[in-house]
Amino acid sequence: MTEGTLSDNAVATTERIRLGEIVGRMQQRLSLRQFTLLIVLAIVWIAFQFLTDNIFLTPRNLGLLALQSSIVSLATISAVMLIVTRNFDLSVGSAVALVGTVLAILTVRHDVHPLLGCLAAVAVGIAMGAWQGFWVTRLGVSSFIVTLAGLLYFRGFSMIAADGATIAPLPSSLTTFATGYLPAAASMALITVVAGLLLAIRAVSIRRSHRYGLITDMRASFLRSAVPTAIMAAAGLWIASFQGIPNLVLVVAFFATVAHLVMSRTRYGAQLYAIGGNPEAARLAGIDVRRAIFIDFLIAGLAYGVTGIALTARVSGSVPGSAGLFLELDAIAAAIIGGTALAGGRGTIFGALLGALLMGSLNNGLSLMNVETFYQDTVRGVVLLLAVAIDQFGRRR
Amino acid sequence: MKSVEEPLLLTQGLTKRFPGVLAVDAVDLVIHPGQIVALLGQNGAGKSTVIQILAGVHPHGSYDGEIAIDGRPFAPVNVAAAEAAGVVLIPQEVNVVPDLTVAENVFLNNEPTRFGFVDRPLLHVRAGEVLRNFAIDVDPVARMGTLDLATQQLVVIARALSKQARLLILDEPTAALTEPEAQRLFARMRTLRDRGVACIFVSHRLAEVFAVADRILVMRDGRLQGDHDAARTTHDEVVAEMIGGTVTVLSPMGSARETLALEVDELTAYDIEDPERKRVDNLSFALHEGEILGLFGLLGAGCGTAAEAIFGAWPGRVEGRIRVTGEEVTIAHPADAIAHGLGLMPQDRRETLIHDHALSDNVVLASLPAVSPLGVLDIDRKRLVASEHVARLQIRTPSIDSRVATLSGGNQQKVQVARWLAAGSRVLLLVDPTRGVDVGARAEINRLWQALADEGYALLLISSEAEELVEVCNRVLVMRHGRLVSEHHGNDIAVGRLLHAAAGA
Repeated sequence: MTEGTLSDNAVATTERIRLGEIVGRMQQRLSLRQFTLLIVLAIVWIAFQFLTDNIFLTPRNLGLLALQSSIVSLATISAVMLIVTRNFDLSVGSAVALVGTVLAILTVRHDVHPLLGCLAAVAVGIAMGAWQGFWVTRLGVSSFIVTLAGLLYFRGFSMIAADGATIAPLPSSLTTFATGYLPAAASMALITVVAGLLLAIRAVSIRRSHRYGLITDMRASFLRSAVPTAIMAAAGLWIASFQGIPNLVLVVAFFATVAHLVMSRTRYGAQLYAIGGNPEAARLAGIDVRRAIFIDFLIAGLAYGVTGIALTARVSGSVPGSAGLFLELDAIAAAIIGGTALAGGRGTIFGALLGALLMGSLNNGLSLMNVETFYQDTVRGVVLLLAVAIDQFGRRR
Repeated sequence: MKSVEEPLLLTQGLTKRFPGVLAVDAVDLVIHPGQIVALLGQNGAGKSTVIQILAGVHPHGSYDGEIAIDGRPFAPVNVAAAEAAGVVLIPQEVNVVPDLTVAENVFLNNEPTRFGFVDRPLLHVRAGEVLRNFAIDVDPVARMGTLDLATQQLVVIARALSKQARLLILDEPTAALTEPEAQRLFARMRTLRDRGVACIFVSHRLAEVFAVADRILVMRDGRLQGDHDAARTTHDEVVAEMIGGTVTVLSPMGSARETLALEVDELTAYDIEDPERKRVDNLSFALHEGEILGLFGLLGAGCGTAAEAIFGAWPGRVEGRIRVTGEEVTIAHPADAIAHGLGLMPQDRRETLIHDHALSDNVVLASLPAVSPLGVLDIDRKRLVASEHVARLQIRTPSIDSRVATLSGGNQQKVQVARWLAAGSRVLLLVDPTRGVDVGARAEINRLWQALADEGYALLLISSEAEELVEVCNRVLVMRHGRLVSEHHGNDIAVGRLLHAAAGA
């Protein structure tokens, strides 16, 4: 084989792979799992609409649903980023309680400025993440054990620091923000601008791909992203038209977007998927596995901080014994329902948010039907099991 | 051969479809007791599917056609049902539980019990009998994980024999075995044949096929192409049937240049568990641009360890100096090796490929910095790099988005090569790159090494198959017990001489 024949072959094969690429791209945009999940979500919503006498699908209730799902959504973002690398975080609920206690002690007992209190709370969260990351990456203890221990002692610290007492009320500025809404007009403007921006970015990137010869039909590619974007924007406008978007939902949207971009569009994200897909392969390809996972735990720490502040501010006080109880399980369940593989290497932020939304919908709808809480837990457990079963079945075919 | 007897196994019109593929197309087989039958064919020819149907991996109902054993219909619904009927498959990959003892592995899920509890003394006594019967010198209470791969495989075969197999199916049983170990296995297969057991084995090593098989079946594109008495056919005839054409024999090309690509000086690598033990002992050699340097040794000679140590991937302690294009470099982590233009294909491709991920992601794994300027992944650039290398190496795949798991063994190996070419590697350390790859793909991969050498790449080709090194290398080094024992040039590169040096006889 000479160089001449190598490049001749290049031309022939490029022609041949083009068709397959288009199909592959479509699969990339929306996995089968996410597609199934959207359909399930639609069925659940329509069912609740009937069962609740048309209360469920109203702008007011959907806005509330998004707000109720916000805490689990924040927690599931870092859960996905860890599970993708075959690591678990069981300590989220307790870590969040500890962050809340720190925030409450500083701002209520010591009159620290709310902004400084929040910075301190985030710093404490990141320190907790660093501590757990140190144990996992430097001492080689499995993350399951390290965070199981964290689940116990973070809650313990939080009880000790607060003497087991509820600390309330927080400065009103925090509570006002956490329970507030971006006004309807501003919300609708924001949604319009963001949707327009997304489409513009998409158009530019499609044009670039076309120039490289990776895409043949520019219009079809554009429509494939434009139609769902337009539908989502319209739904958002309808919901926001009632009283705007809750501030916490904006916070979720911000962090979810950043995390999504990190996972899908950065070298670091590619490294995380590779590590989860095959840690040895990642190591032999020159990836610093320990460093990547340590950073992953720092990100989890940041999530402790943000989630802790959001949770504490929403109820205007820290309840060290029960704040964030079982949050880690909800976060993991949402990630799994959203298609994250426990074995690592596979999972998306978007899918996990859909998972959180599905679980939130069940809670919200069943509450509207006046069903007792313990039935809600049962239903969510069954849904988790079904989601995993459907995934396994779909994979085997 | 006693072919006048009632056949042990008969299949009629055996046909199996996978979505989009006709894997097995109307295969009629007749297997008699006391026969050793070799099943040959390139990857994708349908060999694996046929043996999986016989062993109950693909349950009755998922295929068309009839199977009969001893003239009675045979319709296994799972592997256990097939085993109960005396059909036992030994898969290519050694399936053992490393943390259990040898005895526990032999009787896994088949433990002798007393009052419902596992009878451990009896377990070990029986396992001892099974192992002695097969002439395996292993302590039944040793942990499986402490044995080398070849011994583990022999134990797995012993386990199958303990199940009273009448038709033993072996999928590439010698892929991980050294020559003497393979001979032990063949001796055992002959004893079984004399007891009336039939063996079907899949192999890519023609020499051993002709040495041990009574009958040779050749498959191509799902069909049975040939059915030969082993004594009355030739190597060339069989290969021609496999690839559907005539065979061209390669001859090594002398394209080595004068420029030094890699120099290794007094490299010593220590064992992980036993830090005093040297797995590689004072190894020194130089590799030139455009050279294919062979490194030959039996299993455990330290060739693979040397490659890992050079690449910064060996977990134990490493001493010695490494120079790349004349400059001394420090390699503490694979990332350092990659930065200096080295690439490693380890023995087991499961170690380096992410099977569940797209081909394109696997190709750019070692060149992520190049496709993600400032840390932001440039997806278009990633896809271009992948497409270019798919074309350059002629990787056969439906798309660059296909999961690597769906590719054939030969194409998976090319994905690894693509990864290193994309990362700008100029020195490739290749450990058994054609292991588990079929004859056609093997020839293609060997041609690829020559093409790369012609372009100035420096290749260190490590193999436990002397034939392969003889075919493609300019120069061959032989290692034994971690030490360099000889160097061969030109006519001195011959299978017999290499084996002689490696075995120390």
